Amino acid sequence: MIEIQNMSFGYNSKKLLYKNLSLSLETGSIYGLLGRNGAGKSTLLKNMIGLLFPLEGTIEVNGFSPKKRLPSFLETIYFIPEEVYVPSLTIKKYINLFSPFYPNFNAAQMCNHLQELDVKTADKLNTLSFGQQKKFIIAFGLACNTKVLLLDEPTNGLDIPSKKRFRKLIASEMNDDRMIFISTHQIRDLDNLIDRVVIVDDGQLLLDASVAAIGEKLLFTDVDEIQDKDKILYAEESLHGISIVTENTINADTKVNLEHLFNAVTENPERIKQLFKLINKVK
Amino acid sequence: MNNTFNIHRFGLVFKKTVLERPMQLFGLTVLSLAVVFFVYVLGKQLSGFDVAQNASFLLGLVGGGCFLASFVFGYFSTNAMGSSFLTLPASHFEKWLCGILLTGVWYVLIFLLFYRFVDTLFVGIYRRSLDSNGPFFKELYEQVQIFPFDGFVANKAAIMFVNFAGAMLVGSLYFNKVNFIKVALLISAFWLGAWLFNLMIAKAMIQDVNNAMPYFLVWIDINKDQGRIELPGKLLTVVGILIQYVVPAILWMVAYIRLREKEF
Repeated sequence: MIEIQNMSFGYNSKKLLYKNLSLSLETGSIYGLLGRNGAGKSTLLKNMIGLLFPLEGTIEVNGFSPKKRLPSFLETIYFIPEEVYVPSLTIKKYINLFSPFYPNFNAAQMCNHLQELDVKTADKLNTLSFGQQKKFIIAFGLACNTKVLLLDEPTNGLDIPSKKRFRKLIASEMNDDRMIFISTHQIRDLDNLIDRVVIVDDGQLLLDASVAAIGEKLLFTDVDEIQDKDKILYAEESLHGISIVTENTINADTKVNLEHLFNAVTENPERIKQLFKLINKVK
Repeated sequence: MNNTFNIHRFGLVFKKTVLERPMQLFGLTVLSLAVVFFVYVLGKQLSGFDVAQNASFLLGLVGGGCFLASFVFGYFSTNAMGSSFLTLPASHFEKWLCGILLTGVWYVLIFLLFYRFVDTLFVGIYRRSLDSNGPFFKELYEQVQIFPFDGFVANKAAIMFVNFAGAMLVGSLYFNKVNFIKVALLISAFWLGAWLFNLMIAKAMIQDVNNAMPYFLVWIDINKDQGRIELPGKLLTVVGILIQYVVPAILWMVAYIRLREKEF
């Protein structure tokens, strides 16, 4: 579990990236952290793992303060950065050197993951392509069976079949004792994978809601013509007419389009905040 | 779980540190030793044993030691490598201790063994080349001695090593890229600044100053001769202790504190 209370962070104390951010993330969910380039997604992840320290406020992950980077904390969390590092070692040697640090590491699982992701080599890992290296680290991170898994732009560098395999693997490895937190700006890669959405923009938390709650509250549909512009949260021309996002006042069940959701949220932050605060109160 | 030190976990970190970048670690060590050998041979040919022994010892211990010190925490040149190092489930103390052991123990031992081997070899070759029946055999034989590890040069080299290697360890945790060059420039600037400052103070207080060493010595011109003024005995001892023990201890400890506080 991750609990962020009134966190402020900035690379420059005069220009804060986050101001008074509060967020509570529970186990048993796959979170998608969405935001524009430079919105601070990687920064938030780095604060969670303890690579960066908040200027104000507190962060608690699995009951630990990440800032201290205690071994007992670090063995409960695994962070896969956007650019991965693999030393000049074979798969076997890498596993021999790094896996003993993670008490729940499962070698059989690791083999399965490597097969699933189609990573096979007897050569040294640093000779592999970037995509292959990334898939190896994803397989390793999953096999460590840590309570929290943080992934920063995990699909960058993966080809289309690998993205599909990645989604399948993440979904199959999810359980109630685990939390997977994926940061990305490639929203479509998370389709049908995440069950909670967190959107940050301009240092603010704009949305933290389950996909089910979003479906209850927002309507994603296509129309031929826009009739009441005031009700529209987002509109985009498409092959089928105009794709729109509006408040779901008719209790219709539509599929959440993450890309449209993101645009609707970032274009109407206050309306969305108000809408989802209401939901929270009702719940 | 002990979050500061666990012998099993430390063993794992040490093994990982050595085997993760073996080519760089062993390559740097071999390169340093090769330079020591080259300088020894070149110095002996050009200027004799004294220069060869002193120059190669100084370069090997201080130069090679600093090179390795700048490498052991050199994980921060890329985002991925730095993240991997800092998020490895081991304590800061264990990670720091690995760096200290590799720089201060592992390299020093290998260097001293190698140096003694090379020195003994060349001194032996020299002595065997002498004519034992020659009139100056004894003088020539005793003229070249095995380099003493407890002599003046070795002592000064050790002081330089603990200070500069400490600075390199700290610098590698402050500068993410080309830390060796940056710290070397900083040390040079500090040394130059200290020398100029000392010279300026000495000139303001004493007439006919010829030169002033960074902290302990002033040379003055007396007619055509030169004389030296040293720090008073007790003060020299205090400054000596500071430079030999206190400053290096602070630097090596600052490396640990910096590692704990490192954000990346």
